[in-house]
Amino acid sequence: MSRRTTELLYLVLAGAVSTMAYVSVYAGRYREIHRATIVYGLVFVAIFLVLHIVVRVFLSRADPYLLPVTALLAAIGLTEIFRIRPALALLQGQWLLVGALLFVLTVVIVRDHTRLDRYRYLIGALGLALLVATIVAGTTVNGAKLWIHAFGMSIQPSEFAKLAIVVFLAGYLDDKKVLLSVPTRHLLGVPVPAAKYFGPLVLMWGLTLVMLVFMKDFGMSLLFMAVFVALLYMATNRIVYVVAGGALFAAAAGLAIWLVPHVGDRFSVWLDPWSKADTTGYQLLQSLFTIADGGVLGSGFGRGFLLYTSRQPVVPDLQTDFIFAAIANEMGLLGAVAVILCFVLFFWRGARIATQAPDGFSKLLAAGLATAFALQTFIILGGVTRLIPLTGLTLPFVSYGGSSITANLVLVALLLMVSHRTNVVRAGTDVERRRLAELG
Amino acid sequence: MNKAISRVFVVGVLLFVALIVNLTVLQVIRADELAQRPENKRQLAQEQRIKRGAILAYDGSPIARSVRRSGFYHRRYPQGTFAPQLVGYDSVRYGRSGIEKEMNDELLGTAPELGVQSWLDQLLGRRPTGADVLTTLVPDVQRAAQQALAGKTGAIVALDPATGAVLAGASAPAYDPRKLEEQWADLSSDEGAPLLNRGMQGLYAPGSSFKVVTAAGALDAGTVTPETAFVDTGTFVIYGGKVTNYGGAVYGPHDFETALTQSINTTFGKVGDKLGRKRLVAAMRAFGFWEVPPLGLPSGAVVASGRYDGEGLLSPEAKMDPLAVAWAACGQEQVLATPLQMALVTSAVANGGAVMTPYVVQEVRAPGGRIVEAAEPAEWLTAIRPGTALTLNQMMRRVVTTGTGTGAAIEGVEVAGKTGTAERGDGTNLAWFIGFAPAGDPRVAVAVVVEETMSTGGAAAAPLAADVMRAALAQAALP
Repeated sequence: MSRRTTELLYLVLAGAVSTMAYVSVYAGRYREIHRATIVYGLVFVAIFLVLHIVVRVFLSRADPYLLPVTALLAAIGLTEIFRIRPALALLQGQWLLVGALLFVLTVVIVRDHTRLDRYRYLIGALGLALLVATIVAGTTVNGAKLWIHAFGMSIQPSEFAKLAIVVFLAGYLDDKKVLLSVPTRHLLGVPVPAAKYFGPLVLMWGLTLVMLVFMKDFGMSLLFMAVFVALLYMATNRIVYVVAGGALFAAAAGLAIWLVPHVGDRFSVWLDPWSKADTTGYQLLQSLFTIADGGVLGSGFGRGFLLYTSRQPVVPDLQTDFIFAAIANEMGLLGAVAVILCFVLFFWRGARIATQAPDGFSKLLAAGLATAFALQTFIILGGVTRLIPLTGLTLPFVSYGGSSITANLVLVALLLMVSHRTNVVRAGTDVERRRLAELG
Repeated sequence: MNKAISRVFVVGVLLFVALIVNLTVLQVIRADELAQRPENKRQLAQEQRIKRGAILAYDGSPIARSVRRSGFYHRRYPQGTFAPQLVGYDSVRYGRSGIEKEMNDELLGTAPELGVQSWLDQLLGRRPTGADVLTTLVPDVQRAAQQALAGKTGAIVALDPATGAVLAGASAPAYDPRKLEEQWADLSSDEGAPLLNRGMQGLYAPGSSFKVVTAAGALDAGTVTPETAFVDTGTFVIYGGKVTNYGGAVYGPHDFETALTQSINTTFGKVGDKLGRKRLVAAMRAFGFWEVPPLGLPSGAVVASGRYDGEGLLSPEAKMDPLAVAWAACGQEQVLATPLQMALVTSAVANGGAVMTPYVVQEVRAPGGRIVEAAEPAEWLTAIRPGTALTLNQMMRRVVTTGTGTGAAIEGVEVAGKTGTAERGDGTNLAWFIGFAPAGDPRVAVAVVVEETMSTGGAAAAPLAADVMRAALAQAALP
């Protein structure tokens, strides 16, 4: 069976499962099964079929599992969003459409991701510009400055900046990896590379600090720093960067807990939510109660106690950052673990694409994207389950949020491109190789 | 590079494993604990969406039932103020009390004994429907008790002596359960303590009504007979102190029966002294003192009677000097009793010496009417021998015919009883009456206590007992 047929098969499976989930929620809400529900389900399947065809035409040798996993996660997200606030599900559907369009544009325009390496400084600058724009023109929501309002929409630029920074770092680190792994000087007995190569790294650390202090965005800044440290380690194979990076971020985080009240609150709530049950700890506790209530088997799609009769969700921000609480409640431990395993599957395919890629840039790009994806998932899931302090991040593909789903669909497109190129280089036909060479 | 990527992947997977472990802890290991946390209002909020069963009076008329309003069920009280402290409240804000609390699982339809139907409901995601709780409270008797106490402070408990069923439990002042939430602040700070169920939670000096216990102990032990002769000089000097009669009365030569009918303290002081601390305490324990009567209410809703000091219930082994024993035999000293306990004392005499287990829930009826739980009368304690009970029964009849309790007499019915007047030290009295009727075949036993009266048990409490017993005897059937 060809990769694409496998992909199609799993897509159809994901489509069928998600249509069932959707119908179940609809029936639970309106006590009937309406024709429109089937139509919505079909529109959703159609979007992913179009993506499948685009992949079939342009990236025929790409990994067959990423797209179905994406579809399944998006379907679960849409279903739960519909469950919580039906009006938002339609908006999210439109964002999915926009994301699909961006996916297609990325594939059609870029074609070969190695071409991005040439523009790495431009892309890096673009990512930086997005973050600076957020600091300058952003509005503050829930204490953190993450949003830019433009053209009547709210955009969360850090989601896109995340991609740009990974592309830049992959190119930059691949270029400088030898220099970075050979220490030329010693500082306090620790071998360190030359300052001119180390400089951009300090800049990167500075960037995360700025994000922390000015945007008060603990989640994104943790994500940026962790991805950066992971990429450094993967490029140089030197554990000292992990230790140093960890120490630097810990120092920054410690300072932020002291100095930035918003970040300090989050930390103290994590330590003891019970004494603040009616104020800052309310949201986290409601999340824990809602998750615990799901038990092993869950209350069932559309059957959980997630809304008060006023239609207010029982956990504030349930449809965005806390969507996993709704999933754990309605799908239970088994369903929630299955969703986590979907993320692990995605991460595994991403890491596999990275290890199989023939060149350093491709390796680092795929590994960076997969790591960013996995870490973002871990940070928000760990936050809503009180494993780590809560920091506002979206759950990729699942949470309500246009920027998140569009940016992550572009992330899938990039991973598929790396995978396709790898397989062409390794086992492609002469025609495929020639076509790839022409692109370069 | 691949080695490093693999390592990062492994670390990532470990993080996800940590997530799964943590999730298992939340959803399985700590699930119950989190559900029980007071901060967790999910359960209460959800339960308002269940059609809670009704609490019914013995004739089937609803005392509290739920009606649906905009998706939520609210409690309605068709009979208004009807034993509110005993029935209890069900409030999202203030929680639950009384029968509402004790029978919560049944009322919500989640109790396991409700069986297959509710399990199937759970599987299909249907909300359970609550079961109805039929109480032993008889509307006419309950209302008679509440009316008798109108404007007063006190309590009345009426029992069926043969079964232990609580026919009425009135505590005054009371409150209107329909206005509980809006008046909560006033109710909970009111000096009259309208939320307190005086019948089961109120501890009072039993005064002379306690002489029934002393007499029971002494007759059972053979220390005295009704004919035993005594001489009263107005005081009984003992252990450097003295026992005196109410109002300074002097009765001269008399027998033990007269000592009970006229409530002569000096004689009961002497009998108590002869009986001694151990046998007096043993007689009390035989009637249930020092134990919480197993009425089937939440913990704290019924309290134990016995000897108390400022710190709480004293051990039954606690030392007493002879003077203390003599006064305790008269129901003074540190003896405190709830009206329920005194009702149990009088019903034991009425029931041939056996104290029946008191109960207030007659039946639990599943939706559809199937009876899933029914009360089965059972003996709780054997207080005295049947012969002693009969002797006491006859002595107590004379209290009502010729003694201090004539106010409890009912035309055409033989009533037995005992009055009590405990001086409270502030110039007011605590008026008691305990008794039962008809004396030959007792169907109702009652304990009445009225606080802050200038009058005696015979004048202030006995007529109230007569009203309640009359209402009970007018019933065709009692629990």
